[in-house]
Amino acid sequence: MIYDAQEFARVWKPVLLVSAAAWTLLLIEPSAIPLRGSCFASNACAAPPSRGMLLTMSPTSVGVSWTLMLVAMMAPVLIQPLYHIRLRSFARRRGRSIASFLAGYSVIWIALGAVLVPTEVAAKSFAGEGYLLVAGAILLAFVWQFSPIKQRCLNRCHAHPALAAFGTAADVSAFQFGITHGIWCAGSCWVLMLLPMVLVREHLAAMALVAALIFSERLEPPRRPCWAYRCVGKATRMVTAQARLRLFASSESWRH
Amino acid sequence: MATFTRANAWNNGGTFSNTDILWYAKAVGAMQARTLNATSSWWFFAAMHGQYVADNGFPGWGFLPAPPSVPTRPQPPGSVSGLYWDQCQHQSWYFLPWHRGYLLALEAQIRADVVNLGGPSTWALPYWNYFGPANQFNIPPAFTQKTLPDGSSNPLFVTARYGPDGDGNIYVPTPAGAQQHPNDPNLAPGIVTQQCMANDLYTGSDANTPPPGFGGPTTGFSHAGGTSGNVENNPHNLVHVYVGGNAPDGQTYGLMSDPGIAALDPIFYLHHANIDRMWAVWNLTPANTNPTDPAWLSGPAAAGGREFVMPKPDGSSSVYTPQQMNGLAQLNYTYDDLSQVIPAPPSGLVAVTERLTKLGATAAAKRIKEGVLVTTGKNTELVGATQEPIPIKSTGAQASVKLDTAARRKVSASLANASETALPDRVFLNLENVQGTHDAAELSVYINLPDGSRPSDHPELLAGTVGLFGLRSASLKDGKHAGQGLNFILDITKIVDALHLQNAFGADSLKVKLVPRRALPDQAKITIGRISIYREGN
Repeated sequence: MIYDAQEFARVWKPVLLVSAAAWTLLLIEPSAIPLRGSCFASNACAAPPSRGMLLTMSPTSVGVSWTLMLVAMMAPVLIQPLYHIRLRSFARRRGRSIASFLAGYSVIWIALGAVLVPTEVAAKSFAGEGYLLVAGAILLAFVWQFSPIKQRCLNRCHAHPALAAFGTAADVSAFQFGITHGIWCAGSCWVLMLLPMVLVREHLAAMALVAALIFSERLEPPRRPCWAYRCVGKATRMVTAQARLRLFASSESWRH
Repeated sequence: MATFTRANAWNNGGTFSNTDILWYAKAVGAMQARTLNATSSWWFFAAMHGQYVADNGFPGWGFLPAPPSVPTRPQPPGSVSGLYWDQCQHQSWYFLPWHRGYLLALEAQIRADVVNLGGPSTWALPYWNYFGPANQFNIPPAFTQKTLPDGSSNPLFVTARYGPDGDGNIYVPTPAGAQQHPNDPNLAPGIVTQQCMANDLYTGSDANTPPPGFGGPTTGFSHAGGTSGNVENNPHNLVHVYVGGNAPDGQTYGLMSDPGIAALDPIFYLHHANIDRMWAVWNLTPANTNPTDPAWLSGPAAAGGREFVMPKPDGSSSVYTPQQMNGLAQLNYTYDDLSQVIPAPPSGLVAVTERLTKLGATAAAKRIKEGVLVTTGKNTELVGATQEPIPIKSTGAQASVKLDTAARRKVSASLANASETALPDRVFLNLENVQGTHDAAELSVYINLPDGSRPSDHPELLAGTVGLFGLRSASLKDGKHAGQGLNFILDITKIVDALHLQNAFGADSLKVKLVPRRALPDQAKITIGRISIYREGN
């Protein structure tokens, strides 16, 4: 019904485990990063992948790579909605409802991948020198990151609706929640997900930075949509506040 | 010995003969004479609780009926409003400590103005104890006078304060207040009670405490939306919406009904002084301790959230934490009356023993009395839910909560086989995702009320009464809670026990009836996303 640390742990622990597994796979096999290509295995290759190489990548391998990247980066931000579903579902249906939610959520990201990846392939094929593409992507990311629409997407990511509990309606309800959450999540993160793919090098480091940013900005409460600087403020405040607490005991008196 | 003592506003009949009130009125006037952007102004303090300064249309601050004549400019710089405004903590375990710090800051500012006006340096904020003897459920009369004794306008008088009946008669329907103001028997009595004082857990649930606990649920910085704690739900929320009430035309509501305008009404601080007093009384029972969790003690700022910060009369600011609000002794003030309002609750073991006896498990109850160790389970599980959202009409709504057969059987088996090592389930009704734009509403929730019967004839079927204070803010899509609305948890364990003993808990559904105290305005447009029932047990 309400927040319970033990129940919450039953969600965040496995979710972070899954995310960690995906990160481990990416560390072991960096070529699994979408569109990174074997050319970059040494992180030293400055040339973009050739059009021929990109066109020969199988849809399956691109799909697997895209999924691995999503699981690694996005699983942590699903802790809250998954916890909501767990709380609001019959005990025996929790797994099923979570699966329905994930199916809906995946549909959106797969659809986005089906647009983003070919767009990326096309851009890389025709842009020539990779740094122009990187500059364009960074500019786009900056504009989107600080825009009101980004804030609107972030706000909607905090929405946890009432869910149907019985039968097919429960499946549909969880699936719809997955779709809706996926739309706002993708709206918030799509351009950030693009960045690691277009970089000429340091893809994995870029993925880690972007994942940290996505996780941190999801910790912030909703606020009025407007043009505003958005970065890792909440995570930074958490770390500095904890450090301050440990270093300096509170001694301020509140007497009249 | 504390320097400052907060006294009952009803002293000297609650009139201006009570000098605490007279000086309060004069100092409120001084604060109201300042501009919105001055940290010592009445308006700035109200905005720290919550504000709709820039909203177009009611309840935007520019659209409120005078008096008071509420300014919407000059606004402070964004850095100042971002630091101070919209801080009030609701549906949170920070509800009590944040408001204690807020009252202290307001009191310090008022006292500074009282001294400037030639008043006593020991002035302290009076409280309105609507549970007090005689007619103290009525608002102290000084707040309803249009002028002060010297003939000047009374800053305590507010136009948009309509009361439970929408006629400007301001009272709180406590048991005594409701008795003197008979209600339509086809609607609900909607009584304001002190039942929360029988809780013995600040956050969580136990035999004497329904979730989320006396003080509220674990949260971060929580400005709007979520689940109210037990003292917050009743009496706090209900007093707000009853005192504010609906305007006679039904189009708008009173200041006290909505957290974004509530602190513009001077009675706000006397209501909260009483809530603060109740917290202090609750703490006097040795078992009733405040949280010791570092997350509570250090406040939301320790987890990266906003700080609790108040301006001082000298213009500087002061940051505070719940730990610094932990008790009156450390804050140099007290109340003139900290007597227990209801008998201290039985210990958890006594409550469990009584329940087991009622359920027929007398042998188990006896073994508990003899000191056999009790094990308690805390599994929480959904038992049933409505299938569709429930719109609330002017006279309320009725809904059928479908029960899951397997989960219902678990509850039945738990009640039938209750023992000292397998305690019977406790059962709770949830109102989830309550959304709308009209805060001035309260609903009493009845279980299996017979068709055609009057709610007031069946107090044994009453799950509880909820006030929708904060509904509008909690329903804004870009609000602090993403528009998900309010949630309420009501303990229906006794009702389910009775159904079980009557062999009536075998049905596929429970009938839930939601009834207001007064017919709701047509434009209220309140919706409950889902009504659910949960078990808590082994």
